[in-house]
Amino acid sequence: MNRRNFLSLTGTFTGGMLLLPDFLHAFGSQNNLVIGEQCLVFIQLNGGNDGLNTFIPYENPLYYDLRTKIAINKNEVIGKNKGMAFHPALKDFAQMQQNGDLSVIQNVGYPEPVRSHFRSQEIWQTATDSNKYLNEGWLGRYLDLQCKEHQPTAGINLDSIDNLALKGVEPNSITVKDPNRFKIRTDKEENVKLSDNPQLDFVRKIANSVTEGSDDIQKALSKSTAEISYPKTGLAKNLEWIARLVKGNLNSKVYYTSLGGFDTHDNQLDIHKRKLTELNDAIFSFYTDLKKSQLLQNVTIVVFSEFGRRVKDNGNGTDHGTAAPMFIIGGNNKSKIIGNNPNLSDLDNGDLKHQIDFRSVYATLLKQKMNFDYNKIGINNKELEGLF
Amino acid sequence: MNKSNLWSLRLGFSGKQAQLIEQLGFEKFLNQSYATAFEKTLPTFLDDEPKTIAELKELRQSIKNGTADDQKKVIKKQIKNATELKKWWIDKFLTEKFPLREKMTCFWHNHFVATSQKVKSTYWIYQHNMILRENAFGNFKELTKLIVKSNAMVRYLDNVDNRKDKINENLSRELLELFTIGIGNYTENDIKEGAKALAGLNLGEESAVYRRFLEDNSTKTYFGKQGNFKADDLVDIIFEQKNTPYLITRKILKWFIYDNPSEDLVVYYGDYFRKMNFEIKPLLTKIFTEEYAKENSGSKIKDPLTYLFQLTDELNITNSNSNLISFFLKQQGMDLFNQPNVKGWDGGNSWLTSQIYLQRNNASDLLCNGRNISRKVFDKIPEEGDDLEIKLEKINVSIDFNKNGNNKQIISELSNRLLFRVDENLQKDMENLLKYDFDAKDANANYAVLRLFNYITKTPEYQLI
Repeated sequence: MNRRNFLSLTGTFTGGMLLLPDFLHAFGSQNNLVIGEQCLVFIQLNGGNDGLNTFIPYENPLYYDLRTKIAINKNEVIGKNKGMAFHPALKDFAQMQQNGDLSVIQNVGYPEPVRSHFRSQEIWQTATDSNKYLNEGWLGRYLDLQCKEHQPTAGINLDSIDNLALKGVEPNSITVKDPNRFKIRTDKEENVKLSDNPQLDFVRKIANSVTEGSDDIQKALSKSTAEISYPKTGLAKNLEWIARLVKGNLNSKVYYTSLGGFDTHDNQLDIHKRKLTELNDAIFSFYTDLKKSQLLQNVTIVVFSEFGRRVKDNGNGTDHGTAAPMFIIGGNNKSKIIGNNPNLSDLDNGDLKHQIDFRSVYATLLKQKMNFDYNKIGINNKELEGLF
Repeated sequence: MNKSNLWSLRLGFSGKQAQLIEQLGFEKFLNQSYATAFEKTLPTFLDDEPKTIAELKELRQSIKNGTADDQKKVIKKQIKNATELKKWWIDKFLTEKFPLREKMTCFWHNHFVATSQKVKSTYWIYQHNMILRENAFGNFKELTKLIVKSNAMVRYLDNVDNRKDKINENLSRELLELFTIGIGNYTENDIKEGAKALAGLNLGEESAVYRRFLEDNSTKTYFGKQGNFKADDLVDIIFEQKNTPYLITRKILKWFIYDNPSEDLVVYYGDYFRKMNFEIKPLLTKIFTEEYAKENSGSKIKDPLTYLFQLTDELNITNSNSNLISFFLKQQGMDLFNQPNVKGWDGGNSWLTSQIYLQRNNASDLLCNGRNISRKVFDKIPEEGDDLEIKLEKINVSIDFNKNGNNKQIISELSNRLLFRVDENLQKDMENLLKYDFDAKDANANYAVLRLFNYITKTPEYQLI
């Protein structure tokens, strides 16, 4: 990517270099240290992650009353802090918090919540009111305004499908299905037979090489290596690639990836534990990698889901719910627990009432990390206090 | 993919005729396609194009004696008329109820190549194109005769420079190598002798004519036969050769169905073509009906024309801008009336490079977003002084789907129209885009289906029919 183009994109400058003290005075109102290029990494948990079993009100007797079959035992939870603690699978989340690198934002949601996966994801991705519709995503709108010219790698989505959040008028983001495609191809690979249809094989090979911006991505990959070894899961792979792109100085503003399987209507204890383990291990590797490369202060990781789940269990699982915690890792966050503990006695049709609008979180990220006036993309919620 | 959609794409340029195929049945659909009449009146933009030899001479004289400004004007006008001709044809592609004649005309256009750039007379190019249209379903041998004697061809293949004391072999060579029997079936001597037979065949009023003082009236030996042969005699002799039908049946199979047709099929249909005395209609009927019965989808990469027209048809774009279409086709390597060389567009795998694929994806992104394809998107390097802030033209787009359907029904509805195969991964991706709790009656549902469609158009599977 042409670095010059990106000067118009952000208020920050070259990656890896300390800014001149003079410059910091210009940002007098900000007391956090902005060092190098900032970027945001979103990890969307698909299916509706059960917030109450992720960040657990283990001292609240109602929690055990309402979840007779699936409550996590108070002796198993990890990182106890003011009545809240992590699911045992999230041991490294507790560790990151202890290190001062992880904030939890509690009871995040939006008014008049929708319990359809499809629609609720749309709402999170477009940042609209739940009865309003937009055809462009919130990050897409942001990149439209920030990129003076079309920048194919301003946003990178590591997923098999495009993400509405990044969709703008101009194609300023790309979806990369398999980052392996960017490895220099060898003749051996070219001859691999993929299917029983030679024409399809031919087109697939081309498809693998077409992503716009692939030159920039290749360049970034060639400049970086993985410092540590990641687990062999899909999410870990994606985060490993993101780490390499960040380290290789690709200068993308937004990375996006997802992890599915959180729709735990049944057999929740097993499934949820497995998914949280995958999440924990992948994120912790990513975190460790960035920390070793001294880049964690430049990278803000945001973990969220389209909704939480019903407070009362349905037997062995839970149905679709509303508010849930979000996790912010890195980016010089203040490592706090923001918002009250979930109120299990004041429910709306059996679901938690949200206290913090997700768009407040978006507003904070755009303003504090991207130095962008979020009003310009139609977000009018107040910024959160005390996140960065 | 539905058979009706597949064959609508194969015999036309989009899924537009699928319904008609279902209503009429395949056989009736074919017959009505053959029976389609076509416009014979001269398009108005050609009214003041020079048509006779005298008019052309006059024009050339005026360029020669005119000022630089006059010359510029003439050239500008030539370019404008050549552009108008493209638009004229694109409109036909877009509007024909039964587009098979145009698809076949385009096939011949890419077989008997004569480019605007070299022929430099839009009128002759138009004439050449009309011969192809009129004989699209006629007789291959007769069509070959007409084309060899067209003004466009004698100029394009330099027969204007072929005279008895100064032989030029170009037309003679391509007549054998590219137009009929193909390489390996004739000798260099046949080419030399054929060139002699063609010597003096030069520009005429309506078609090419032999010039008395330039023709060669000696005895020629052509494929073992001897005589004072002329153009028509050459064609007659070529069509007596055993291997003549195969090159064309291979090309027809490639144009309509297979990027890599098997040689067995080529010979099978070729033998039938010979038996039918090179009548094109019975050959097409046999190929289409026999291939219709087979499961052979996914064997051909869409050409740019089909790619774009399917896109605009699916998106219900009615006011297509033929200027932009023409520009897109050029960018995609399918510039009408301007093939890169006498061999024509190679087709098959050469329709797709990563650059072309990327342009296709960009075009789909733009159109699905309700924005017209634009030069801006394709010209990577903006020129000095270009206004980068140009707003893209807004257009109305929508996609047809069952408003009472659930996510899987809509996915399969679209797949059946658009994808020759859906494997597990593809299905999973589509169900991720349109989840099980997707509500087709939701106010924003059409946008969600548009996103699904947009995703589909970028898959490798979508590039094939």
